[in-house]
Amino acid sequence: MVALLLVFLLPTLGIPIVYLTGKKSPRAAAIVVALIALANTGLLLTTVPEVLNSSDHVYVEPYAWISILESEFTLFVDGISLSLAIITSVLIVVAALFSIDYMEGKKNLAVYYTLLTMLSLGLVGVFITSNILLFYFCWELMLVPAYFIIGGWGYRSPFRAAFKFFIFTHAGAVFVLLGIGAIYMFTGATDMFLAQQSLMSVSPDLVRWILLSLTAGFAVKMAVVPVHMWLPDAHSEAPSPMSALLSGVIISAGAYAILRLSLGTVFPAVMDTAFGTDFVHGLAIFGVLSAFFGSLIALVETDIKRIIAYSSIAHMGYVLFGLSLFPSSLGAGVVVITAAITGTVLHLVTHAVSKGLLFLSAGAIMHQTEVRDIREMGGLAGKMPFTAVSSTIAALSIAGTPPFACFISEFLIFVGAFEVISGDGFFLLPTALMLIATVLSLAYSLRYLSHVFLGKPKTEGEKKIVDVPIYMKAAMAILVVFVIVLGIWPTFFIDLINTVQFL
Amino acid sequence: MVDILDVVLPIISLVTFAVLTIPVFRVIRKTQHRTALALAWFATAFLVSGAAVANLALQYYSLESPLPFLSVTLSDTPLSEFSSGFMIDGISVYMAIMFVAVSAIILVYSVFYVDSSKRPSERYFAIMLVLTAALMGAVFAGDLLTLFIFWEAAAAGSSFLMIYKKDPVSLNSTLKYLVMIIIASAFIVFGLSIVYGLTGSLNFWAVREALMTLADKQLLVIAFILIASGYAIEAAIVPFHFWLPDAYAASPSSSAAFLSALIDQGSYYVLIRVLIFILTPPDVLNWTFMLAVMAALTMIVGNLFALIQDNVKRLIANICVADVGYNLVGITSVTALGLTGNLYFFLMGGITTALSFMAVGVASRYGFRTLEDFSGLGKKMPLVSIALVIAALSFAGVPPLGGFMAKYLVFTAAIQANMSWLAVVGVLTSVLQVAYLLRLVNYMYARDPKDEIVIKEPKRILVPIFILVAAIIILGFYPQIVFNFIDPVVNQLPLIP
Repeated sequence: MVALLLVFLLPTLGIPIVYLTGKKSPRAAAIVVALIALANTGLLLTTVPEVLNSSDHVYVEPYAWISILESEFTLFVDGISLSLAIITSVLIVVAALFSIDYMEGKKNLAVYYTLLTMLSLGLVGVFITSNILLFYFCWELMLVPAYFIIGGWGYRSPFRAAFKFFIFTHAGAVFVLLGIGAIYMFTGATDMFLAQQSLMSVSPDLVRWILLSLTAGFAVKMAVVPVHMWLPDAHSEAPSPMSALLSGVIISAGAYAILRLSLGTVFPAVMDTAFGTDFVHGLAIFGVLSAFFGSLIALVETDIKRIIAYSSIAHMGYVLFGLSLFPSSLGAGVVVITAAITGTVLHLVTHAVSKGLLFLSAGAIMHQTEVRDIREMGGLAGKMPFTAVSSTIAALSIAGTPPFACFISEFLIFVGAFEVISGDGFFLLPTALMLIATVLSLAYSLRYLSHVFLGKPKTEGEKKIVDVPIYMKAAMAILVVFVIVLGIWPTFFIDLINTVQFL
Repeated sequence: MVDILDVVLPIISLVTFAVLTIPVFRVIRKTQHRTALALAWFATAFLVSGAAVANLALQYYSLESPLPFLSVTLSDTPLSEFSSGFMIDGISVYMAIMFVAVSAIILVYSVFYVDSSKRPSERYFAIMLVLTAALMGAVFAGDLLTLFIFWEAAAAGSSFLMIYKKDPVSLNSTLKYLVMIIIASAFIVFGLSIVYGLTGSLNFWAVREALMTLADKQLLVIAFILIASGYAIEAAIVPFHFWLPDAYAASPSSSAAFLSALIDQGSYYVLIRVLIFILTPPDVLNWTFMLAVMAALTMIVGNLFALIQDNVKRLIANICVADVGYNLVGITSVTALGLTGNLYFFLMGGITTALSFMAVGVASRYGFRTLEDFSGLGKKMPLVSIALVIAALSFAGVPPLGGFMAKYLVFTAAIQANMSWLAVVGVLTSVLQVAYLLRLVNYMYARDPKDEIVIKEPKRILVPIFILVAAIIILGFYPQIVFNFIDPVVNQLPLIP
């Protein structure tokens, strides 16, 4: 069984192939990237039966790596990481297809697709390992290609946005590194599950610092208020396929890391202390803050991509709120998956496809109209019907309207919240506020749709506006299917996530 | 059995080749394939000395139980413990392998960089060979005097590499360097004389044993401070660092690469050897704390000075200073992990600085020196730029490049030794490092070139550069290759308290 190793090797070996193909024809290079990601999706799917049916519901491949640190190259998936890895691969396929027409005529496309391949290595790698060090390798591997993609092919002053992105997330990453170093020091383990058990016997006074350092580092990547400042610039100045990956996957990786490392590995050691309760309460407060901050700015922002970027901050607020519902007192290290955790992970999946679709649609509009201020748009529904439909589906999903994808996951989070309220009265107020925040998300979604697609055209450009070319259509169509199917039949992912017995 | 011949063979072979280089080049210059023949000549030199080192490593590791501190003396008298001689252990074998490998790559670069058809260049190459030999003598040294002689030969001899251009700036900075080296050696000699007076020997073993049982340790403290500050000057630890950026920035890039990858790491090796293995007086002096403060200062000062540099070469020279600070973090922890980190850092830090000096050297040939000049370099010289970006990211500690694993090991060691504050300082200065290195990357890729000059990158000189790039990526992602050499060293650490 080498499925997961191949998931690592395919993009690695693909890097030179993509570069050489791209030198001749960028279009072929994009197809190669998409095929690699498609193959990865297939490989990940082959592990599904083992995860569903084996007794401990995990799939593990250990290989030798750095023996001096007793660190193994452990490739691992369980229900949560597998769901996220699959959806990440799908988004990479979509981003590569979308790039074909979107990036046409830009310079150095061979390098662009090479960087995209490197990026896909980090993006998927982050989810499929249980070795903390390898996790950190992939975590940083996301950063460098993303920096060059934003800087090299972005809008306005792209390197400024890319610089901000790099500095913020790298500063976060060094706090993660401190936490990882401290975990290694106390436990001598670089495996998440070994570390979790060993940390149980470490003094909670020390563990709390590890927990705070790790969570602060991950929160930067997740763009939680008040460390969100990099996100609006990076997401709006990046080329749209990259924005879709940034909003869909990279910030989700932050949330996944909080779930897996902060809450799963470190938190059990301080679960039963007063600090543990304060910690989850703190997460809830920051979640509410992010949700409100993001939604309110999205309501007044006029730049088409910045609206979506702020909506991502709001949605990471929901996710953080969902994470704060992590069972906080179940006794020594046993973690049971609750409706809230299922909902949170499912929200990462549904948000990834919905936000990916919304960014691609926004990119399509910018590509066809060359306008990015929504006050100058209007009446595009008649001219770009396909984009109008896909935008509407995406925006309604983001607003949490049934039967689209995000509804079911938000619903599960709230179900989980009500379960928790019965035990911990603190969560009453945050839950109420979160419900208000969903109304705000509907408000900004509708404002966005009405400004862009309804009414009369504001400016008459010389260029006749037509709907998007075929590859962009195909890419968006894939995500439309995902948004609708996940909305009415989320069973596949819910079953997968619910198999998780321990974190 | 390791014979005296096994030990001196690498040194002697390198010196022989160095001496022969001058007449051989006279012949080579007259033929048509000058560069190819020069490369073949140096390949032979390094193959022979590499074989000698490999032979030594095999001999050493085929011993029944590879003893730490295997003394190899010149004569077999009963008093040989007290005489001068060589000593082999895992660290010296590792350092010797590293020196031969890195020196060979830098010499190939120098052959292309310093025009090998011009007259005094053969002396330049010969000096590089001799310096490598001297460094090897220093790592094989078995007593403080042998160490002193070989090391000072390497340190003072490297001024010839700095002064190769013979312009006023390099004369000035070389003079500064030589004065510092002489002051440093005066300190060291004074300290050594006190040690000799206290113990009646300079042999590593004998000195260590004698110091352990010494009753009155007041003089020892003085000797320790003198020797430590002497070696601190040579390793450019803050506040004794100010000669280094001048010296490196004024010397030709191939020299700067050699100095940073070999002499700098060698000076640091000597510091570790003397402080940790021989003088360890933990109960007398809180020296780890003192060194920790120096490490923190070195990291902060090195990075802050790099931040304000306009000249790219000076910027990298200041990173060399900061690197010494990161390396010091490993030694202050006095743990097995810290030592592993140090030894790995010698290699990765060395080749990263060498790589960046080499890349900057190629760019400076076309007149690109300041950050302004580097605007749009990514378009003009794509391959050189990629190499420089890889080096910058490795400095900044971005995985999977080698610099990350090096920093990870030393910081973890610091946390393990209960000096988390030092790790925090290290991590925060790393962020600073990312900031100014990204500024450099920003200049190279975000700005438009100032002129439309089209540059055809020289292909041959890129070969050694990209060998180092590959080494940084491969050894960074799979450091086990290096750790296989370090493992036995760490297992024979009975001397670390």
